[in-house]
Amino acid sequence: MTQLLTILLDGMSYGMVLFIISVGLTVTMGLMRVVNLAHGAFAMIGGYMATVLVLKLGVPFLLACVLAAIAAGILGGLAEMTVYRPLYRKGELPQVLLTIGLCFVAIAALTFFVGPTPLPAIVPAWLDQMVDIGFRLYPAYRLFLIVVGGLLAFVVWLIIERSLFGARLRAAVDDPQMARSVGMDVSRMFTITFVGGCALAGFGGAIGAGVLPLEPFYALRYLVYFLIVVAVGGMGSFRGSLVAALAIGIVDTAGRYIVPQFGGFLLYLLVFALLLWRPNGLLPPKSVA
Amino acid sequence: MKRVLAATTIAAVMFSVSAASLSSAHADVVKFGIIMPFSGPFAVLGKQAKEAVEAFQKLNGKTVNGHEVQVIWRDEGAGDAAKTRQFAEELILREKVNVLGGFALTPDALAVAEVISEAQTPTVILNAATSIIPRKSPYFIRVSMTAAQYISPLGGWATKNGVKTAYTMVSDYGPGIDMEGEFTSSFEKGGGKVVGKDRVPLNVTDFAPYMERALQSKADALFIFAPGGAPSVAMVREFERRGLKQAGMKLMGSGEMQEIFLPSFGDSVLGAISSNHYTESNQRPENIAFRKALNESTGREAVPDIVAVAAWDGMQLVYETVKSLGPKFTGDQAIDFMKKQTINSPRGPISFDPKERDIIQNVYVREVRKVDGKVINVDIATVEQVRDPWKDNNPNAK
Repeated sequence: MTQLLTILLDGMSYGMVLFIISVGLTVTMGLMRVVNLAHGAFAMIGGYMATVLVLKLGVPFLLACVLAAIAAGILGGLAEMTVYRPLYRKGELPQVLLTIGLCFVAIAALTFFVGPTPLPAIVPAWLDQMVDIGFRLYPAYRLFLIVVGGLLAFVVWLIIERSLFGARLRAAVDDPQMARSVGMDVSRMFTITFVGGCALAGFGGAIGAGVLPLEPFYALRYLVYFLIVVAVGGMGSFRGSLVAALAIGIVDTAGRYIVPQFGGFLLYLLVFALLLWRPNGLLPPKSVA
Repeated sequence: MKRVLAATTIAAVMFSVSAASLSSAHADVVKFGIIMPFSGPFAVLGKQAKEAVEAFQKLNGKTVNGHEVQVIWRDEGAGDAAKTRQFAEELILREKVNVLGGFALTPDALAVAEVISEAQTPTVILNAATSIIPRKSPYFIRVSMTAAQYISPLGGWATKNGVKTAYTMVSDYGPGIDMEGEFTSSFEKGGGKVVGKDRVPLNVTDFAPYMERALQSKADALFIFAPGGAPSVAMVREFERRGLKQAGMKLMGSGEMQEIFLPSFGDSVLGAISSNHYTESNQRPENIAFRKALNESTGREAVPDIVAVAAWDGMQLVYETVKSLGPKFTGDQAIDFMKKQTINSPRGPISFDPKERDIIQNVYVREVRKVDGKVINVDIATVEQVRDPWKDNNPNAK
């Protein structure tokens, strides 16, 4: 029983990191239909930013994560206005080629400027310890990830489901043409969402560095997980991405713990089965379903 | 008229050819082509090798007896064996290199075996660590290490130092499985017992479930092997974070604990035991000179690793060859000469098994400690002149 709870906590904390990073990707992919393979690069840049702030300038961990999110958001906004905007009307192939190219640019740039070795951990001492949670000692950092992930999920839920902007956003995801024809400024909405998504990714990259270590190849190494979250959750679905990220985290962890000889195989089996059952993801928005 | 023109042309060409060959007899260029990754997940290997080579040439000059030694670099990217082979062909055919070298990973080295056999190009392996490689071509010589070689003392050391049970956790690929086997056999020979083992897929960086299993096993020690970089960093961090260290488990490994990676772990790695053929902070005069040259050449406090030291010794080997054989030599002459060399390397004395053309060197058991505020490896035991045990166990494998 305690083992099951441990697996659950491990899986949830891992899933929360995936969620924070991927939620932006799912919304932008749902909204703009842009296959943005460079999403992981924004998470990576956020993580690098936070590491530099903490180690070189002595900024506290949490503040550094927030600053990293802002920086990733600004960078995302610039990229949206200059590089992504001309892509919206192009086909999927140019989108894939250009965004994977951006990934390589980011990898090469970080290798050149910061170096190819993995970065030191920036998890502060107050988080990097064990706490008693009743039935065992458990890493505080992982509990912290679950709490922060939960809070962020709540905030994003408030914005998407309870605000006017969220209502417009959902409308634009469901039917962009209709949204335009009733006078919504969809392209401005694109930019705002893109900035928000990149900021979240940057935050996730910074705060999750203890689970997904930072190195220049980060942008490609974890891309497949981010894409699985989007595919399983349903493109453009906020709730879907939360459910998918947690499910992936828990199943992946449980699989590795209980049947390690299958390695990471169980996860892909699950993805396979889920997509056969629901090709558009668990909770796809109306326009796709 | 036409005939006269043709004759003068021929004469002119012949003159210029003979002039060229005359002048080259005095000062030749010896070309050393090195293929390493400078981009992709293994980029750190290429960077380390290049910095060491540049430092070597800065210290020793670019010429040997007036003959320039020119190093030509090729970036094979993300462990791409097909590309490595292509570069080897290009370097041999177009650049006409006298010596070839490099190879981060085993598949890279294996991919060029046929090419160098055909061209009879002496080839210095600067990293790839699978035992069998030099048997694949008579023109290979290795200055790096074999995995079995540098891990072989660890199991025996552990049983002599109070470790009775161990849990093994390795990356699920060729070298990882070799390491698991080599550690297990030496550990059990000493009377230890392996109580559990995990093979972790290469792309995994969340080690929580594996560390949890290791923790539950209540073994005295955890033996890990993962390629340097994100996987090994994540492994060691999770070891600390999940309280395996607090539970009294000893962390044992090999290349993960190289000094270059230690800052990525933070203090969590203090007390970890590793076995390796190069201790970066050793006080041999050769090593002090090596590190000084590296610092001066790079303009910063550079930390060498096993690739850097292999590249340094590889250069030494090439320089010695040119010094003794001159700028022109056949592949057989060069290999024959190289395998008889003994070098006072920064890592300690090294020589070569003349039959296998593979390196013989000391292996050090080290502990990670904080000395003067710096986290470094400190030697706690030395096993002298270790041969590759795999070759002795598999004398006829091809």
